[in-house]
Amino acid sequence: MTAADIGLTAPTGDLPAKPRWILAGLLTGPALYILIMAIVPAFLMVQLSLAHREVGGLWSPGLELTQYRQLATPLFARIMGFSLLLALTGAAICVSLAFPAAYFITRMRRRAQVTWLVFLLGSLSLSEVLIVFAFQVLLSTSGTLAGALSAVGLLAPGASLYPNFPAVLTCLVYLLLPYVILFFYPALSQLDPEVEQAAATMGASRISTFVSVVLPMMRGQILTGVLLVVIFTFGAYLTPLVLGRPPQWTIAIHINNAAMGAGNLPLAAAYAVAVVTFMAALLLLTRLLSRRRGAEA
Amino acid sequence: MSLSPGVILRRGFLGLLALFLAAPLIVVLSVSFNATRRMSFPPTEFSLRWYGAFFGDHAWMASLERSLTIAGLAALVSVLVALPITYAIWRYQAKAAAVLAGIGGALFLIPGVVAALMLSAFWGVTGHVGRLENVVLSHAIVLLGIPLSLLMVGFRTIDQAQVEAAYTMGARDSDAFRMVVRPAMTPYILCAFVFVFVLSINEYLIAYMVAGFTVQTLPIKIFANMRQGYEPTMCVAAVIFMVMGFSAFALMSKVADLPRLMGRTRPLED
Repeated sequence: MTAADIGLTAPTGDLPAKPRWILAGLLTGPALYILIMAIVPAFLMVQLSLAHREVGGLWSPGLELTQYRQLATPLFARIMGFSLLLALTGAAICVSLAFPAAYFITRMRRRAQVTWLVFLLGSLSLSEVLIVFAFQVLLSTSGTLAGALSAVGLLAPGASLYPNFPAVLTCLVYLLLPYVILFFYPALSQLDPEVEQAAATMGASRISTFVSVVLPMMRGQILTGVLLVVIFTFGAYLTPLVLGRPPQWTIAIHINNAAMGAGNLPLAAAYAVAVVTFMAALLLLTRLLSRRRGAEA
Repeated sequence: MSLSPGVILRRGFLGLLALFLAAPLIVVLSVSFNATRRMSFPPTEFSLRWYGAFFGDHAWMASLERSLTIAGLAALVSVLVALPITYAIWRYQAKAAAVLAGIGGALFLIPGVVAALMLSAFWGVTGHVGRLENVVLSHAIVLLGIPLSLLMVGFRTIDQAQVEAAYTMGARDSDAFRMVVRPAMTPYILCAFVFVFVLSINEYLIAYMVAGFTVQTLPIKIFANMRQGYEPTMCVAAVIFMVMGFSAFALMSKVADLPRLMGRTRPLED
């Protein structure tokens, strides 16, 4: 998010000349905080990924590629591949549910809109711990869902609906839906109703207006929404841990296990650097794609 | 009003969506009122015993208090950091402030586990481990993007003509701040605070990786309970989260224009 993205407008006109010392006074504290808590840890992580690992969970500064060599294994490729598969499946479901939902919500009356926003913000803020726990109850052997499914013969009696891939996916979709709906909300609420009205007067149906006018205008937004889901899924830890089996463990669990379990902080850091690099590449790709498509339109 | 197929389809879709989003909450809520110790849904017998057990338990209350303290301080720090940055952008179009805001926004886009690892490595190197303030400062930096964007929305709503009028009438910066900026910004500051507070109190992974062994926040305690075996009191803790979150945002919708806060700039009639 840059200032340009946010579209700030400062007051114009005859303002008093800006004294530098006021700016320095305003920004020194925040700059120091951001430097210490964001820039330093980021550099530290890169340094850590190149460090020399010692016995007993210790490490000494170094410049070696030992950790990165461990990334060039089929195991790591498989974990990243699975994480990406999970993320993209989740993104497809989330975006195709969230986009129409956000579209409908932006066209509601104020009261209904505010109610939806409170509901979405409330469920978005809920702890992943809590959601995972609720899904555990919902999907457990003694739960209603399993009972109902086994009653109609879709599930063996006494079987549980987790841990498996669909459970992980459903929970991730649940966690992400409010985010993605709220992400689409500003752009869709900015959409000029007159554009749709114009299409309607030219004889286009509601649905064809939506597909031929609204969707193309929102290409960039949709791609960024997908990226949002991918970033979140790569960072999700509890959901795959509780609702999945080891084959469904995403990179987040392996990062955590390396750091906290095996005491191999350098390897965890190398994983993390790889993930961030991958995310940056995806970000670049979405920017490129939305620009090219935008130019065609 | 006639119901066309389109309207039925739309309402059905939104209804199902609302049901999906509400389902886990209904589960937790009803299990918390269940009399039996077994984790079962639907509940069999209504009881308040687990609420009594939760509020009578020293360890649960200590976790709750710890979480509230961390969330309050984290919200305070992140708002106090975001306020001068956004003010400098709005008032002086300061490039440096825009860069700082950019970093704050970018941090919000880092996968959760990576941020947690970065910060836990950082506190490990400083040798300052397992302390409450580690969680406070870590939450405040990771969530900084929220106050930054909300406060920017706020500054954008300030009537420029009013500010200019104040200056033409010879007002100094401090006067303009008192007369125009502060009243306009108060609801946004409040909202930013509440938003960070709610997200911080619900956050698990960073709190766990930064100081989880010694500072047991409510989500950490709930998760530890989940792993050790089911105990109904944890549902009460979960209900507290729900009540806190929903009432916080309901309150926010009363003090501020929520659609605008969430990024709507096109006017919305009642």
